[in-house]
Amino acid sequence: MQMNHFLKIVYLLIIGYSNLFSQIKLDVSTIPKRVDVYLDGVNLGTSPVLNERIKPGLHKFEIKKKGFAPLAYDLLVNPAQAIKLDFFLNPIYKIKFKTEEKGLVFELNGEHRWDVPFIRLELEAGDHFLRVFKIGEIIDEQTIRVDEPKRFNYYLKKPLTSG
Amino acid sequence: MLKIIIPFIFVNLLSSMNQEPTYLVLNHFDKDIPQAEKLLVENFNNSKFEFDAALENIFTDLDSYDNPASSHMDMMKELGEKYKVSFILLNKIEHKEDRFVLDGLLFNTRSGGLIHRRKIDLKQYLDGQINELIMWVGNTLGVQEKEWQKNRESILFNDPEELTYDKTPMGAAIRSLIAPGWGQAYSNKKTSAGVWFGVEASLSLAFILSYLNYDKSAKGFLSNTDLYHQTDDEKLVAKHRAAAEKDWGNHIIYSRLAIALASATSTGWVSNSIHAWVFGPRPYTNIYQEWDSSSELNKG
Repeated sequence: MQMNHFLKIVYLLIIGYSNLFSQIKLDVSTIPKRVDVYLDGVNLGTSPVLNERIKPGLHKFEIKKKGFAPLAYDLLVNPAQAIKLDFFLNPIYKIKFKTEEKGLVFELNGEHRWDVPFIRLELEAGDHFLRVFKIGEIIDEQTIRVDEPKRFNYYLKKPLTSG
Repeated sequence: MLKIIIPFIFVNLLSSMNQEPTYLVLNHFDKDIPQAEKLLVENFNNSKFEFDAALENIFTDLDSYDNPASSHMDMMKELGEKYKVSFILLNKIEHKEDRFVLDGLLFNTRSGGLIHRRKIDLKQYLDGQINELIMWVGNTLGVQEKEWQKNRESILFNDPEELTYDKTPMGAAIRSLIAPGWGQAYSNKKTSAGVWFGVEASLSLAFILSYLNYDKSAKGFLSNTDLYHQTDDEKLVAKHRAAAEKDWGNHIIYSRLAIALASATSTGWVSNSIHAWVFGPRPYTNIYQEWDSSSELNKG
């Protein structure tokens, strides 16, 4: 009887010990490569990160590289399994926005507003929603695609001839 | 907004015959992804797809559970027994405005727990859904093709540091330094190219003419000075003296003119190169008011 108790205790201790200290194999790949990878605020080095170890539970990944939008990602890691993470960073492009039209107010993504004829912006690659106001009224809405560093010229009217 | 829900069942039959891990793959897409099923079969042959809409309730947001790893344990165990598979792979693709999210979940049917998760959240990864799906399925099956990786990289937005352009402002500046107006012509600015070339050509020509006149006056002065010293004839002395004085005067004028024109030419030359750099070829897009009937982006 006592022997059975002893075995149960040993078994529970082994299970508890293995759960407490079991670590999971972690691989982190990113596009682009050579990105700083932080796990719970600790720098794991630059990507690709291979054969790192992680404890089960909730973890926070932060991926940072100059010229790209930083990425923060919470992940609940399940015990006793390997985990492979792929992160894709979206580049940030330097954009110039110019207009020769008078009295216009521009709004981008419902957040940033400006009324000057020339502005420099740093925008994440992808589509952005542009809204144009004149004397307090919306006069235009459209989506602009940012796919490289470039200048946008805004006109109220399309020219009769192109080129 | 109408969402299309398409769960597929994909059982890796070949593996089961060899007593290797077997998979039940469930796909759930909020939009129709053309040829997803066909491409999965092509990339992972010896596999079978079936359709079953009854499994829709698995695809609720796992993150809303306190413990997503164990939230569907019983269901996964039941599915594992029903389909005789060792793993269940859930692929959920959602489109949120301009982003697409692929949530890949691998469950062990013996424990019912979530053992591997891959979440991709991408902005404007156009037409990349199927490639990511194939890569994720391949990852769980232990298959990775280089072509998929290349596909992925080709679709993603470019690294700003790796962007290269056929024409650059520096290229325009160097060309204009070699030949005025060339940089402007290279930037497709024909008018300013013509103006710069015309101005610089005129200044250069004027400088050359001034120099030639200066040279001629200087030589004439020396020649008339010699003649002046070599004769005693009063008339000839007066003639050579007048000619020498005229040449001296001209030599001074043309000398100053040549120096001024040389300065103007070289300053203009450098300015032309700077102008070519400032107004050099840079990417731009003209945006025209879209609410005005005809609307289009004219890419420059």
